[in-house]
Amino acid sequence: MNSDSNAFTQYLQLRGKDSAAATGVLDTLNSRAADALAAIASHPDSDIFAPDYGVNLGHLPMQADLATSFRCGVPQLNSLLAVVANDVFYPTENLHRNAPEGLYAGSIRTIPEQFADDAASMLETGISDSDAPALVNSLLLHDGVYIRVEKGVEVEKPVQIVNILNSDIPLLTPRRVLIHAMPGSRIRVLLCDHSQTPATAHLNSQIVQVKVEADASVELYDIEESSAATTRYWQLFAEQADGSHLTVNTCYLTGGKTVNTYRISCGNNTDTSLSGLVIASGTENVSNRVDLRHTGTGATSKQLFKSALFDKSRGTFKGNIYVAEGAARTDASQSCRNLLASADARMVSEPQLEIYCDDVKCSHGATTGQLDERALFYMQTRGVPVEEARNMLTQAFMADVIDNISFEVLRQRMHMLVEKRLSGATADCSSCAACHAQSTE
Amino acid sequence: MDQTNQQQRSEADRSTIERATSGEYKYGFTSDIDTDLIPAGLNEDVVRLISHKKGEPEWLLDFRLKAFRHWLTLTPPTWAHLDIPPIDFQTISYYAAPKKKEGPKSLDEIDPQLIDTFNRLGIPLEEQKALSGMAVDAVLDSVSVKTTHRERLAELGIVFCSFSEAVREYPDLVRKYLGKVVSYRDNFYAALNSAVFSDGSFVYIPKGVRCPMELSTYFRINSAGTGQFERTLIVADDEAYVSYLEGCTAPMRDENQLHAAIVEIIVEERAEVKYSTVQNWYAGDARGRGGVYNFVTKRGLCRGDYSKLSWTQVETGSAITWKYPSCILAGEGSVGEFYSVAVTNNRQQADTGTKMIHTGSNTRSTIVSKGISAGHSQNSYRGLVKVAHAAEGVRNYTQCDSLLLSDTCGAHTFPVIDVANNSAVVEHEATTSKISEDQIFYCNQRGIPTEEAVALIVNGYAKEVMNKLPMEFAVEAQKLLAITLEGSVG
Repeated sequence: MNSDSNAFTQYLQLRGKDSAAATGVLDTLNSRAADALAAIASHPDSDIFAPDYGVNLGHLPMQADLATSFRCGVPQLNSLLAVVANDVFYPTENLHRNAPEGLYAGSIRTIPEQFADDAASMLETGISDSDAPALVNSLLLHDGVYIRVEKGVEVEKPVQIVNILNSDIPLLTPRRVLIHAMPGSRIRVLLCDHSQTPATAHLNSQIVQVKVEADASVELYDIEESSAATTRYWQLFAEQADGSHLTVNTCYLTGGKTVNTYRISCGNNTDTSLSGLVIASGTENVSNRVDLRHTGTGATSKQLFKSALFDKSRGTFKGNIYVAEGAARTDASQSCRNLLASADARMVSEPQLEIYCDDVKCSHGATTGQLDERALFYMQTRGVPVEEARNMLTQAFMADVIDNISFEVLRQRMHMLVEKRLSGATADCSSCAACHAQSTE
Repeated sequence: MDQTNQQQRSEADRSTIERATSGEYKYGFTSDIDTDLIPAGLNEDVVRLISHKKGEPEWLLDFRLKAFRHWLTLTPPTWAHLDIPPIDFQTISYYAAPKKKEGPKSLDEIDPQLIDTFNRLGIPLEEQKALSGMAVDAVLDSVSVKTTHRERLAELGIVFCSFSEAVREYPDLVRKYLGKVVSYRDNFYAALNSAVFSDGSFVYIPKGVRCPMELSTYFRINSAGTGQFERTLIVADDEAYVSYLEGCTAPMRDENQLHAAIVEIIVEERAEVKYSTVQNWYAGDARGRGGVYNFVTKRGLCRGDYSKLSWTQVETGSAITWKYPSCILAGEGSVGEFYSVAVTNNRQQADTGTKMIHTGSNTRSTIVSKGISAGHSQNSYRGLVKVAHAAEGVRNYTQCDSLLLSDTCGAHTFPVIDVANNSAVVEHEATTSKISEDQIFYCNQRGIPTEEAVALIVNGYAKEVMNKLPMEFAVEAQKLLAITLEGSVG
């Protein structure tokens, strides 16, 4: 056995010792993943999984004081909030109390009988037998969040899931979020990633699986601000039925090494908006990988990714638009703009088009450069110090990604967080009022 | 009623486009010339035999053997967006040279059939001097047959000869530059070529000389079952200028033919090299049988400050094209350009593009790539723009457009942009679309039939690149576009 395959099979061996941790649907998922994983010899991302991480096989609750973890919105937070501490799901009182009719949000571990089949099939959505990182997540998964909106229900308040890492031992935390929006429904989900033990090298493996049924709308926002020691492997698998709408927006503020993968398949006449923002400094390394697949006719998709890289940080964007034979009248665009703010930063972009149909309008653009010297000069002539001018221009550069966020409180909050991040302050979204304000509107 | 009319119209349009894009290969013929062929197969003895037959010095044999041994450790690359049938390298003959009949001293002594071949290709060799003012080093299979204009070039100190001649007469120059840009370790096909290369052209432009004419080599694969392994080396010394043309046509064959060439270019201080290619090898028939496999490694090194290298290519032929003419921009302020039109039809596959590697400061590069796919073909642009950490003030602009002429073909774009210096400005844009109905309608309305309108639009689309070709070539290139795409048009 070579070291490459060992990166993944070490978890097989780990789990072999105690495989009774999960229950029901998860048990089936675990053992199926074990079979598939055993057959994989190598994977390009094996180095991420190679370190010897601890795994919470016994479904032990986090020992940290949950009260401090809840700083995001405490004390009066009454939005639809749930907390995932390491890899264990904690519903909050307000989620139960305030969840409207037609919305279910709860643990996969204790999933009601009537949703079990749906959850079981969703857990497999998009994961191929060669996707070793996803299979490791499936193998070790013993908890997760299942969100379901019934037909025609429009959920007004965003569902917020706060992911917290807290352990003095380096952990691999398998996390899972399932979102199923029934025909004509509408939901907004906000995910926040934090680390309360910033010095510990955690691997946060998170998979989000989304099914948007006909004419439904899902908006998914993700904010990462963990720590330099944290590695995050985030995967989105989304399926869009005819006429549905999906918005995905990820904001990377702080972290160590991050890989975000988006795999979205679009049906007929769907509308997809995908955007990402990266502000990286130090030795942070952020990858965004997109595989957007158009198989239906008349679909529209828009992608916008922007990075500002400081210090010795490194960014990667690899985006593919795939248009299948017969996917006529597809209108797909992709834009990747990058700002190198330091001499040691590095950006690699691979915007790709793979097109097998002639009746399409596809385009992509990618630029890498720095701030306009003339704009900087102009601002200096107006008495703005150069550093401040830089910050303002970088903020302006990021503005259109943030403007893709549809609800205003979060949008304003993001503008503020980006401003703080750029001016050097830790972009700490504790005491974030976004969810609170939204819920009391 | 309206709908039926519209349907009928769109069907008529479609069949016009199909008719227009089903052009047959017009240069398919085989000339029957005695060739000196070594039996199929590749081993160290064959490499030695090739070297021996060409009377090469020891160092060159060593180079070949090193390359061959390295080649044995490699496997063919599979990363391209191509479906390449497995190639058995042992079934190919690695050397074919027209038999020498005591060396022809005048044109009359050359095999009349050979001359006829050239004539049918549109290269009237005997008229070449007088009419076109071009020096032609005609390569038929593997050995240069005739070189013209030598005297005039020699007066200026320009060396333009076949590769084997250069090895004999200018061994120091060849040894100094061979393998310096494309190492035998570069890739699978480069290693193969380095081991068994047959012949090619060698150009040396001395300091401060501006080459007064376009240098041109017509390559032509002619012998059944022989791979052709050309090796071209162009060196432009300080403040020199040369424009080099490479064009090819190949006879029709059922059997696939392998072509793995290497082109190396070295551009010294303030020198400029312009390299233009029109490639129209046999692409296979409409069902994808036969056709040339074109696996080429082309690379130039802009070593001197303020040097310039410009690649222009019109790719219409070959069953499979795997080709990435590249520039290493090492000299301060050096400039790299890549202009390409790649047309694929029927079952053709092309994976082509460029690499611009900026290691010097204030270097600039421009990439314009126009892909046109029709029939069941697959056409990919693959490119790399790399800015090294130490390269300040780099500028790159890339534009790659794809035009789709049928609903069964594919057009793909795979660029990589790797920037490690914050003073660089790198832009890339790409679009993919079909010919807009508005454009066709506008032409129809002005009395231009759909068939001609397609030709007109395609020509306009490729104009930006065609304009970069030398005059003599532009005419041929437009004809090729017409033949490949327009059938009865043009």
